Amino acid sequence: MWRICGVSKAEPALFARNLDDDYQPTWRLWGEERVDGAIYTVYLKKVRYHRPTRSASNSESDDEISHLEWETVRVRFVKAGTVERLVEALATDDGELESTYVNVFLATYRSFAECSRVLDLLLRRYEALAAEEVHPTAVDTSLQHRKTLVACLHVWLDTYPEDFRQPPHHPALQQLLAFTQVHLPGTELHTKVLQKLAVFSAERNGGCGAGGLCLAAGMRVAAHHTSAYRLPHVPHRHFAEQLTRMDMELFKKLVPHQCLGAVWSRRDKDRNHDAATVLATVNQFNAVSFRVISTVLVEPNLRPLERAEILAAWLDIARELRVLKNFSSLKAIISGLQSNPVYRLKKTWALLAKEKAELFDELARIFSEDNNRWAQRELLMREGTAKFANTVGENDRQLQKLLHERGSPGVSHGTIPYLGTFLTDLTMIDTAIPDTVADGLINFDKRRKEFEVLAQIKLLQGAANAYHLPQDSMFDRWFDSVIVLDDRESYQLSCQIEPPTNPPKERRPKKINDSNSHCHRKNDSIASTSSSNSSQFYCETDGAAIGWKRDSLERRVSPTRLSHGSSSSSLPSLDVSLSSGNSGQKPANGKAAPPRAGPDFYIIRVTYESECAETEGVVLYKSIMLCNNERTPQVIRNAMLKLNLDGDPDGYTLAQVLPEKEMLLPANANVYYAVNTAYNLNFILRPRKTQQLEPVVNGKSRGKRP
Amino acid sequence: MREYKIVVLGSGGVGKSALTVQFVQGIFVEKYDPTIEDSYRKQVEVDGQQCMLEILDTAGTEQFTAMRDLYMKNGQGFVLVYSITAQSTFNDLQDLREQILRVKDKDDVPMVLVGNKTDLEAERVVGKEQGSNLARHFNCSFMETSAKAKIHVNDVFFDLVRQINRRTPINSEKPKKRTCHIL
Repeated sequence: MWRICGVSKAEPALFARNLDDDYQPTWRLWGEERVDGAIYTVYLKKVRYHRPTRSASNSESDDEISHLEWETVRVRFVKAGTVERLVEALATDDGELESTYVNVFLATYRSFAECSRVLDLLLRRYEALAAEEVHPTAVDTSLQHRKTLVACLHVWLDTYPEDFRQPPHHPALQQLLAFTQVHLPGTELHTKVLQKLAVFSAERNGGCGAGGLCLAAGMRVAAHHTSAYRLPHVPHRHFAEQLTRMDMELFKKLVPHQCLGAVWSRRDKDRNHDAATVLATVNQFNAVSFRVISTVLVEPNLRPLERAEILAAWLDIARELRVLKNFSSLKAIISGLQSNPVYRLKKTWALLAKEKAELFDELARIFSEDNNRWAQRELLMREGTAKFANTVGENDRQLQKLLHERGSPGVSHGTIPYLGTFLTDLTMIDTAIPDTVADGLINFDKRRKEFEVLAQIKLLQGAANAYHLPQDSMFDRWFDSVIVLDDRESYQLSCQIEPPTNPPKERRPKKINDSNSHCHRKNDSIASTSSSNSSQFYCETDGAAIGWKRDSLERRVSPTRLSHGSSSSSLPSLDVSLSSGNSGQKPANGKAAPPRAGPDFYIIRVTYESECAETEGVVLYKSIMLCNNERTPQVIRNAMLKLNLDGDPDGYTLAQVLPEKEMLLPANANVYYAVNTAYNLNFILRPRKTQQLEPVVNGKSRGKRP
Repeated sequence: MREYKIVVLGSGGVGKSALTVQFVQGIFVEKYDPTIEDSYRKQVEVDGQQCMLEILDTAGTEQFTAMRDLYMKNGQGFVLVYSITAQSTFNDLQDLREQILRVKDKDDVPMVLVGNKTDLEAERVVGKEQGSNLARHFNCSFMETSAKAKIHVNDVFFDLVRQINRRTPINSEKPKKRTCHIL
């Protein structure tokens, strides 16, 4: 680093005119400097040479300032470089640690180099410096330089221990160990490496290390006990806290660099492995949304007012999440409420109290997509690391009231952001800014840009420590017990609750296009052989796996689906039948049943009880659909499919779990009519006692029924 | 000026973000900031008319499945993108389209089917014919693009604007209430 000595009298004002707007007034862009293997951006930075001594009584007049002395120092930042140069830059020319650079480098290096390569370069640099020590003039700098490299290794090990895990042999850690044994025996670094090695190998050998199994044990549930919580009558605040507790655990575990565009959004990479912590967060978000959707829809017989109460309960929970500054679950709930199957229930929404409807609008406004999600970004900026929620818009009457009521809470909260915005930003940065610049040098400025986002995430992770929320295992049980409906199931349920209002005949008939028959999509064969138009939709899109559902689904939607089915462009296969001359609008015989008052199916939950020791005490329920014409063997087959059991359905028995006892279903009962609907529809599947059939648990899901 | 809300959908890795960035900014840009208010807004002239396009790109959030409905509800026109180098990304679009129609509660929504990455011709697995057949099924337009090589990128968005104009001509839009005139 060289210095330009400046006399201050000169022109702070004049200086200011030349400033680059992006930088503080004391910084000025000087230009670029190219050396072999690197490009630097050089700034001139004006610093005070002497601190002014002034007494409190003296006001700081212009006159005084003009007597200050300034100096201008030249500061350079790596803009781009080879890996070697980038590693060298971890220390400045003076050998000092450049902490910002080290942070950016360690957070992002995975996008341009392997861990082993970087470690190798770092260690070799140390060795080279150690060898240089013979020149007495450079001793100090060299010593400082090596100190800095050791400091980098400390930061690396502390901040990104996962980089060194590399099971089973931890090669990088072994290399580091060998290095410290030679160069730094007995130092703190040496000890740290030994400790890390011990931890990793203990985890590898110890059965219950990673916590997976321990967690399972914690989730053990008394047999067939389902949760005591039932919407809408749940403690809102408590629910919000428990959702926050779940989010917080995942958010704290989130590895920020897994959010990088090059890791998260590249299709060719294995997300399950490379971005596991991001995926876990996304899955939790979806799980919350799905629970909103399914609790609103799953009981088709509710009176509209009762269903509106469930909406209101979720809004109350959402409101508490706003106070807790948990924007992840908050957005998940809002998304669930805005999802088409829920949002389209106009009659239900109409019954919502006015202030609840206002609350919904206010909460939804937070996540408006307008102006590149400005509202949300602004809010996170203001409250991200603040102690508690305190920002409301002018028009947010309900939220104003809420914050007024609460005053400032005694405890401060952390913040859990909605991760999606960061993921989009990082994806866009990755797309828009090239990885390399001229001569193939690694574009380190891109990494700095990415780090701006990663640093925000890290900051919020730190703030998340402010939450202190005890775990309620009953809540976890409730959370796990809620069934999850897929897109179509929820849409069908929704249509059953409120049939589509759009009269079919108003739909524009789709043009018949001959060329469609040349299309070689897989559904053509089904379409041309099927005698029922309406079933193709499900055959084609869901595949054969849920072919069994076809009848029931078809019946449920038949009044609307059938009558306009032949004009709906969402049924590509229909074009084939139309173009083959079968353009008659008559629905298939006997299918146009009148709308029913009640549901003609239930969603039931089935668990499998085996003699296996390792599943003892853990009850895993799977949901299946039960139609009104399904008899015991069919239901058992459906349950087996869902539970991944192979074998003969006759080898199993099915029983409904009731508070006092179990009700064994006869071998050929109509299960729909046989069940006791006064209680939860929980069932248990067991191997039949008399036969000794060994159930085969099959890990992979199958595409079709045997 | 008329505003158009356009949603770009498709599986991860098909180059949605590249298409958007190329259209809005022209990649590759040295100083790029995805967090500012008008990162995804662009004014263009289509058939002699000034239009303001607001692009909603779902890149990075494909797996937040519950949020798609809202994107779809707010969008006026849709760009459905697949990569010509990955068959699965092509197959995924059928479901997306159905979801759009369900959410919009219409049979006919302004839409362009886009096969991206034509710069990777050597890795092509989805034929152009396949793409145009699917577009006929969808009753929408079809284009093959290379966001990287800047081929046909603007055409996608211009076509969509024309489709929106055709379905809802400017004079059929809800007339703005004029409360008072001061003369």
